[in-house]
Amino acid sequence: MNLLELFGEHPGWYFVAATLVPLLSFVLILLAAAMWCATRPFRTTPAGAALFKLFGGEERGPIPAYVATGAIALAFVFSLIGFIKFTAQQSTFETQIAQSQKQLHALSLKAKAAEEKDKHELEEEIEAEEKKLETTEKMWASARNYAWNGHFDWLRIRPAGMSDPDRGTVLQLGFKIDSLSALMFVMVTFIATLIHLFSIGYMSDELQPEVEDHQVHTRYGHLVRRGRFGRFFMYLSLFCFSMLNLVLADNLFQVFLSWELVGICSYLLVGFYFERQTASNAANKAFITNRVGDAGFILGLLILWTNLGTFNFDEIFHRIRAPLSDSHGSVNVAGRFVRGNVDANNVTKDGQGFTQDEHGSQILLFPHKEPEHYHALVNRVSDNPKPDQHSSMPYWLVVAAGLGIFLGCVGKSAQFPLQVWLPDAMEGPTPVSALIHAATMVAAGVYLVGRCYPLFTYETLLVIAYTGGITLFVAATIAIVMTDIKKVLAYSTVSQLGYMMLALGVGGWVAGLFHLMTHAFFKALLFLCSGSVIYGCHHEQDMLKMGGLFPKMKITALTMLTGVLAIAGIPLFTGWYSKDAILAQAFGFIYVHPQHLLLFLLPLATAGITAFYMSRLWLLTFTGKPRDEHVYEHAHESPWTMTVPLIALAVCSVCVAWGWPVYDAEASWLEHNVHHAQHHAVLADFGSIDYTVSEDHGEYWVVAKRAEENERLYAHYNHHLAGNLALGLVAIGIAFAGVIYWKRLLDPAEAKEQFPRIHAFLMDKWRFDWLYSVMLVRPALVVGHWLAAFDLRVIDGIIHALARFGVLLSKWDGLFDNHIVDGLVNLVGNVMYDIGARLRNVQTGFLRSYVLFLVLAAAGIFMVLAYFVRMATAG
Amino acid sequence: MILAAVGLNHFLILGALLFVAGAVCMATKRNAIGILMGVELVLNAATINFVAFARYNPVFAVEGQIIALFVIVMAAAEAAIALAIVLNFYNNHMTVDVDTAEELKG
Repeated sequence: MNLLELFGEHPGWYFVAATLVPLLSFVLILLAAAMWCATRPFRTTPAGAALFKLFGGEERGPIPAYVATGAIALAFVFSLIGFIKFTAQQSTFETQIAQSQKQLHALSLKAKAAEEKDKHELEEEIEAEEKKLETTEKMWASARNYAWNGHFDWLRIRPAGMSDPDRGTVLQLGFKIDSLSALMFVMVTFIATLIHLFSIGYMSDELQPEVEDHQVHTRYGHLVRRGRFGRFFMYLSLFCFSMLNLVLADNLFQVFLSWELVGICSYLLVGFYFERQTASNAANKAFITNRVGDAGFILGLLILWTNLGTFNFDEIFHRIRAPLSDSHGSVNVAGRFVRGNVDANNVTKDGQGFTQDEHGSQILLFPHKEPEHYHALVNRVSDNPKPDQHSSMPYWLVVAAGLGIFLGCVGKSAQFPLQVWLPDAMEGPTPVSALIHAATMVAAGVYLVGRCYPLFTYETLLVIAYTGGITLFVAATIAIVMTDIKKVLAYSTVSQLGYMMLALGVGGWVAGLFHLMTHAFFKALLFLCSGSVIYGCHHEQDMLKMGGLFPKMKITALTMLTGVLAIAGIPLFTGWYSKDAILAQAFGFIYVHPQHLLLFLLPLATAGITAFYMSRLWLLTFTGKPRDEHVYEHAHESPWTMTVPLIALAVCSVCVAWGWPVYDAEASWLEHNVHHAQHHAVLADFGSIDYTVSEDHGEYWVVAKRAEENERLYAHYNHHLAGNLALGLVAIGIAFAGVIYWKRLLDPAEAKEQFPRIHAFLMDKWRFDWLYSVMLVRPALVVGHWLAAFDLRVIDGIIHALARFGVLLSKWDGLFDNHIVDGLVNLVGNVMYDIGARLRNVQTGFLRSYVLFLVLAAAGIFMVLAYFVRMATAG
Repeated sequence: MILAAVGLNHFLILGALLFVAGAVCMATKRNAIGILMGVELVLNAATINFVAFARYNPVFAVEGQIIALFVIVMAAAEAAIALAIVLNFYNNHMTVDVDTAEELKG
């Protein structure tokens, strides 16, 4: 079987296969576990013992880990093949299209300058070139549809009153591959593979039949439980499947399913040591906080389903954003929302009147199917549109849907104000933290914001940007004072996610998702390094007890240094490319909208803070004198299954964003690849850096945005300015950290004493937990107590009164039964008894008296008969 | 003719007298044998009635005599059974005084 031609004409199925392989592994491990449980009672019989042994026996081996790791590695291979195939095809077509566009542009310039008589010839040439371009684009579009898309109907539900029978009735499952999802697949599967490999070493304690948990105290000492090695890998497999399915999905419904699966997996894994109170609390917190976000997500879904009748991304975007062109050529609002007002007085059988208005209360919804003669901008909309008719929906609902979906992403990506769960989620095993922070859980939120970008209006985007801005600053300041090595990393993740959200909000769609990819590599690296440190120090997580570990664990220290430099944004490391892109975009945004200055200042300042706290982390851990002899004595380098992933990730953290030339921050190959997936709505909202084309937007659709409003253009112009500013701050941050924690010229304890309030405020994580406790948890408890009191007093009172009444009634009924009913029955009985008792005396027992009675009775009967006979004969 | 003067009624009166004598004998005698004799008298009273009817009513000419024969046979059987009872009675009570038997008392 040739792996490269497995799916023939449908290479998109490589990604489907990559998604399903981890699911298969999950199911296999689950079934094996079920069989283990089923055969366990029969392990005393010879046949049962053999079966029991087959499914693991008393000492279950590492086979589940091999299955899960093999599955995810296979998924990585599939993703890689699919990615290469996709990129090859895409670049072929895109190069052709770009060439045609360039040619067209040159020709049109020529035509403008040319003489009257040459013009005709040139116009013909232009027409031919346009045809060629159109054919190429069509071929590419159909290739995408045929080879890289697919879906099937999963559930048909009752029609929602729409005239199009296909819409509003069917939930689909499907896949849609573009360069973003292809990249995500490679990234997720690659990182997940390394994390699986790392986990084999890290979780090896769980292989023992009995594990002693030193953090759980019972009456009989520490808790001793069965090792849970297989379960861990089963959860990991499910987690990977959920995330891959989320990336694969071509519709919001499938995303939502995977979204919840990701949520439950994080719940299970964060609470992996569920016997520990802190772990189970953290798992609950993560899950409940995410539910808050999901409530918004569901609202968004409901709004979209009700108004658009579909969950498919392409169909939603097609309906709410203006098309690039119609039968009349290009559309002047291409890729934007078309707002306007519906005139309720102007009603005909075609629908109501619609007038365009920038501040209108409605937006125009474009038809499902493009009609033969397509005029994108119409002046009539229908209430109950046919598939080829326009309709409208209220603008505020679009905003609400966008905000709702964003709220879901806020929860999942731990953004302000729902960031509280992520640091607590550190209770899970470290590889899980790495997986959650790098490849799966939190990436899902950012990914979805990127996917749903065309759904977001200007207002929504501003909310996204500010949410990101606040988050990145708040989290970074908290990270400064944390001493738990994993907590620092957790807050750095929150902060970096804030960067991504900010980027997406200010139009840096590519920058944000680019940062998502680069961050995934170096954050996975950092977490695995911290895992290696924790493993080496025998589960010590407090940095204040480490120090001077460099000679003891050189590989870990050096790889972690790579990660630190990458996240700080040192040139030529991955973080530099993506962070510069974000800062440049933020700069472009505030250049056009100076009132939002904060959106640039916050990330800029945070760049310096990030460099400071990451350097602090590394210096505290690996340099200086050992602060805890016990920890230092026992520290050791980790086994190869743990260091190999570190090295692989370190290499990726350096190289993965490189392009040619390496020193050019805008030449990153990864960034360009992400760029291909960008929806044209981004260009419509924030302009294009392809200024040579955008100057004459009449010919081709690309971005009709005037230069002075073009955020992306300014971002491009000021890339170096923004980048160098950040670099300066990064240098200061690192130098500062060096002065304090390496050269020991300043004492951190002094700073702590100098600003006790600020320190306490930061240690309390900006008092968010306190705030939620005061605002939500305690009021909820108070209300709960009230309700309990209401239950106890009023409801229970009523029920008790009813019960008492019932008892009373029963007593009366009992009296009636006892005296009247029973009395009658007894009376009859007594009378009969008395009669019997009297008649008993007749039975004397003397034979002679019987004879006497007999004779007397016979004589009596005879006389009576005689009397009657006489009467009869006489009568 | 003295025989001609004797009619059905005379036989019936004789039967009735015999019956009453038997009944009184049963009711008054304490000796089981005495009671047995009373029973015989009652049976014979009935037999006399049947025979008399057979003689004076041609419709019953045969039936009356046959039933009379039955009664005689039955009386013999009854006497045998009664005597057996009396013997058992004697075994249990060492007397034939029926008043000592109170087992029939209700």
